[in-house]
Amino acid sequence: MSTLDAAIGASASALRAERTRVEVAVSNLANAESTRGANGEPYRRRDVVLASDPVQSFGAALGQATATGVRVAAIIEDQAPFKRRYDPAHPDADANGFVAVPNVDVPEQVVDMVSASRAYQANLSAIGLIHDMIRRALDLGR
Amino acid sequence: MPIQFDSAPSLRPTSAVGAPAAAGGAPGFGATLEKMLQSVDESAGAANVAVADMVDGKGDVHDAMLALQRAETTLQLTVQVRNKLMQAYQEIMRMPV
Repeated sequence: MSTLDAAIGASASALRAERTRVEVAVSNLANAESTRGANGEPYRRRDVVLASDPVQSFGAALGQATATGVRVAAIIEDQAPFKRRYDPAHPDADANGFVAVPNVDVPEQVVDMVSASRAYQANLSAIGLIHDMIRRALDLGR
Repeated sequence: MPIQFDSAPSLRPTSAVGAPAAAGGAPGFGATLEKMLQSVDESAGAANVAVADMVDGKGDVHDAMLALQRAETTLQLTVQVRNKLMQAYQEIMRMPV
């Protein structure tokens, strides 16, 4: 069962990674209009960097891992320039009346969120398939 | 060409009848079953921890569900092994001597 166990572990790590992607996309969406951050700058769009990661198992310790999971390597901030919007009445407007707003593109974030949620579902299906295989193997004994 | 009867290896006695088969060989069924029961206990404990973590807001829902599923699978496997063992035992007990 160890191989199937490693496969479930890989899918579980993917579920964790996709959940992080959704969390980051949601925080980008929530802060799409935040003109003040902790450092006084507007909010910067965040991006998740994923890296492949061998599943921690007995097989992996022996160098025989067949399933490779995924982990969140880093969450980086997008260094693209802020968008500028003319709004002289805004408290954070500069001398020319322009406000620096976060470099978040809302439709892009929504697409990212949907893609992460679909990937989550795909990994859930993979886990369901593996469980089905194990159940059928157990049915051999009946 | 003369036929050599004594060269047939399958005609030689293999081992003394009634010798303990488990001497230095495979562990008995009891030990195997005990080991399986231990792993059932372990996976049930892990499932408990995962569910408690989830309730506390520390763990993920999918981690708890996977731990539960794993515990169930281990239990089912153990029950199947036990069923097979009992079946074999009853088969032997029914054998007329």
